[in-house]
Amino acid sequence: MRALVIDDSRAMRRIVSGILAGIGYETAEAGDGRQALDLLEAGETFDLACIDWNMPVMNGLEFVVAVRANRAWRDMTMMMVTTESEHGQIVRALAAGAHEYLIKPFTPDAIRDKLELLGLVPQADLIEEPV
Amino acid sequence: MTLAPDTFTFVADLVRQRSAIQLEAGKEYLVESRLLPLARDAKAGSVDAYVRALRGVPQQREYDRVVEALTTNETSWFRDVSPFKALTDHVVPELLGARPGTSSLRIWSAACSTGQEAYTIGMSLLDSAPNLRVQITATDLSEEVLTRGRSGRYSQLEVNRGLPAPMLVKHFTRVGTDWEISQRLRSQVTFSKNNLLHAPPVGGPYDVVFLRNVLIYFDLATKRDVLRRVRGVVRPGGFLFLGAAETTIGIDDGWERIPVGRSSVYRLNARRAA
Amino acid sequence: MSTLTPFDTQISAIAEEVFAAMIDGEPGHLVALPDGAPLTDPVYAWVDMHAGVTGRALLATDVATAHDLARALLQMGADEPVGEADLVDAFGEVANVVGGNLKALLPVQGTLTLPQVGRERPDLSGATQVDAVALMWRGQPLDITVWQI
Ligand SMILES: C[S@@+](CC[C@H](N)C(=O)[O-])C[C@H]1O[C@@H](n2cnc3c(N)ncnc32)[C@H](O)[C@@H]1O
Repeated sequence: MRALVIDDSRAMRRIVSGILAGIGYETAEAGDGRQALDLLEAGETFDLACIDWNMPVMNGLEFVVAVRANRAWRDMTMMMVTTESEHGQIVRALAAGAHEYLIKPFTPDAIRDKLELLGLVPQADLIEEPV
Repeated sequence: MTLAPDTFTFVADLVRQRSAIQLEAGKEYLVESRLLPLARDAKAGSVDAYVRALRGVPQQREYDRVVEALTTNETSWFRDVSPFKALTDHVVPELLGARPGTSSLRIWSAACSTGQEAYTIGMSLLDSAPNLRVQITATDLSEEVLTRGRSGRYSQLEVNRGLPAPMLVKHFTRVGTDWEISQRLRSQVTFSKNNLLHAPPVGGPYDVVFLRNVLIYFDLATKRDVLRRVRGVVRPGGFLFLGAAETTIGIDDGWERIPVGRSSVYRLNARRAA
Repeated sequence: MSTLTPFDTQISAIAEEVFAAMIDGEPGHLVALPDGAPLTDPVYAWVDMHAGVTGRALLATDVATAHDLARALLQMGADEPVGEADLVDAFGEVANVVGGNLKALLPVQGTLTLPQVGRERPDLSGATQVDAVALMWRGQPLDITVWQI
């Protein structure tokens, strides 16, 4: 499983990437929406994108809209990870095509919970039931 | 700050007697850190002093607080995801199929903690079967978590834990830094105090019982007793959901295990085991 | 023109959540400091919220504390040197998360600017102070003020 972590803060990229790596993801990083689009346009593919909202050059919402406009990128699940936390902002992001929304601050468990909802936790990492 | 051995023994015994939660040796740090706020409230110099005073003059209410302080209330929305999918896609259709004309279901969320499990059930059924009348009884040993559940208000960190964003925007409104669940969902859930060591709550018989992530704290004999009592308030053909690390197998054979997707549900055997 | 109403205790509530979840991994390390304490070598991080009114959330702490913050956020060793870019990045992100959560409390939906970080206190002449909260993180002072500009 591959994830793209898009945030203008290196600290935040490191936190999110670290949590995803712990769940079994291979991660790539981008500092804004434009850099992230460059990776996609160069043919890289990802199962998941974690997207900050407020970033220079191209913000997260613009990135979501751009991804939605290209059928080739349909399979990538998009989760906003942002401090924008009004009801209306969440509605906007979902309407634009984001699949999930995580509000900063969050605990490491919260990322895992969201990925479970999205069916994006690698099989080996799920709790096995006792038989 | 090391706890006196007899303080630990006293607290562990009290907690075992009143909740069946097992505090093994080595959990001294837990007792110390969880009781420190109570000791401070009581203006006792230390946890040892607080417990000594408690033993001198037994007070039921204060004993309850000690037990409550030692419960683990970790919970989340849609915990483990698959049980709630099994509920809407398998269990509810089967219940309705078995009893045509049914328009209401009674569900017990036992050991509900702060209510996320009960409201998750409510939201799932509201979306999948909007015409069904659903009554959820949510119970726990701890008054503190029940009060929080009843308020229907959750912090940002709590809503981040497993609540799907589309459900957040559909069923919650922001109130200051918190999010509050809709009146409609709150009206489906009744929170009341119940100890799993005692008789099950009124409101049954239940079509479905969620008893998740609590049996793990109990010894085998207690697990068996609790499952037997639960059996007594489940309708024939009704269902039980346990936590991902829990099972009835080898403990209580009144249940049939049915694999659904990645998890299992347990159906009350038609022919009841003794 | 409308005015900002004080956020009061919501500021420390938000800051406590941010620190507990993302910096310390547990609550209890960020506490209120009723009388405040002077900063000796301050560094500032701020974001502006535009929502009918313009407000600024300004965080201030000592450089050494900001270094510790960066180490905690970037999961660095206790003695690892912190570069200027890491300090700006980490302290700026803390301001961003606190500011974004404050913005969500405003009656009108608005926008948030990207964080700025500097050794000089930003010019606030003509601005009105709406809130001032003195906190202590791991024994070191951290101030949060909110301004209407
Ligand atoms: C880990 S939480 C589980 C919450 C929820 N069922 C879930 O799966 O997320 C365990 C809960 O069991 C409660 N509990 C422990 N012993 C109990 C007892 N004897 N009777 C009733 N509740 C009990 C605790 O207060 C706590 O809220």
